[in-house]
Amino acid sequence: MKQKISVLMDGELFEDEAASLLDHIKRGSDVHKDWEVYHLIGDVLRQPDHIHCSLSAKVRERLQDEPTVLAPRGRAVKQRMRTFALSAAASLSAVGVVAWMSLQISPEVAPQMAMQQTALRPVSMQIPANSNDYLIAHQEFSPSTDMNGSASYISTVSYSRDEAPVKNNPDEK
Amino acid sequence: MTDREVDQQLVERVQRGDKHAFDLLVSKYQRKLGRLISRFVRDPAEAEDVTQDAFIKAYRALPGFRGESAFYTWLYRIGINTAKNHLLANKRRAPTSTPFDAEESESFEEASLLREVNTPENELMSKQVVDVVQASLQQLPEDLRSALMLREIEGLSYEEIASVMNCPIGTVRSRIFRAREAVAENLRPLLETSKGKRW
Repeated sequence: MKQKISVLMDGELFEDEAASLLDHIKRGSDVHKDWEVYHLIGDVLRQPDHIHCSLSAKVRERLQDEPTVLAPRGRAVKQRMRTFALSAAASLSAVGVVAWMSLQISPEVAPQMAMQQTALRPVSMQIPANSNDYLIAHQEFSPSTDMNGSASYISTVSYSRDEAPVKNNPDEK
Repeated sequence: MTDREVDQQLVERVQRGDKHAFDLLVSKYQRKLGRLISRFVRDPAEAEDVTQDAFIKAYRALPGFRGESAFYTWLYRIGINTAKNHLLANKRRAPTSTPFDAEESESFEEASLLREVNTPENELMSKQVVDVVQASLQQLPEDLRSALMLREIEGLSYEEIASVMNCPIGTVRSRIFRAREAVAENLRPLLETSKGKRW
């Protein structure tokens, strides 16, 4: 029991154990004395020049004349409920934002976009031959490529369909 | 359960009508609050009365305490106001006009002043208590003494002490308790003999 008091005053006891210990302290005066002596030791170690008589007994006497205080019953519960409600609201709004964002990019849209891209690819356009040099010189500034700045280090190879493919040498057969 | 949570649990018990829980808070904070009030009210007897008044005011105001700040921070404000009101009622000025907070008050030293105005009897008793605690501490094995000092002076958690002393948390818990109990064993006879003085 004394060890539990020591642990409680250090703030290292679990909540349920603390609750039962405080119930016990309420019933037993010896346990209360241990609590008081342990705190006195701590105060002496921290501030040996500021030790004075205990006021507990005097305050206790004066408290006997005081009406018992009672907080409005729902206050503590309301406080906890408010904390819970706020945290729940924050969680729900976070979930809502995530859900809304995921709806914006729905699974049906993504394949459609991919299909559109693939549909665009086969389209060929004739680029004037004299613009090739211009495009090659400025391709690193193109916003459509992910390789901005690095494109100048890539050597380009052109291929034309008009050129007849090189046929294998029939003598090799 | 942290120290603040222990206080909060005691406060909630008082708010449910448990006066005894308030005793525990008084035992815990009486010297801390007394030190604070003695910065305003120099006479020890008056300072003691004002400290009691502050506790009674705190008890009356507890239904309104919602736990938004730590209990001691709240008690500290009541202590300051009670001390200032006491000085105003006696038409004296507070020794300081600049605001200061609870943390500053902990480091403020006015020991020499307190010693000057303290009664010889109280001073002797204070000295005896301090001597017994310090002598008991010196008699403790090194590991127990270190564990207690790390906790009480340095304010380390059990986990931190376990790390410093390179031992399990359970050992720290046991060492601190054994150290406290060894000192308390030597202190109890002195406290019993001076019961009239309510040490």
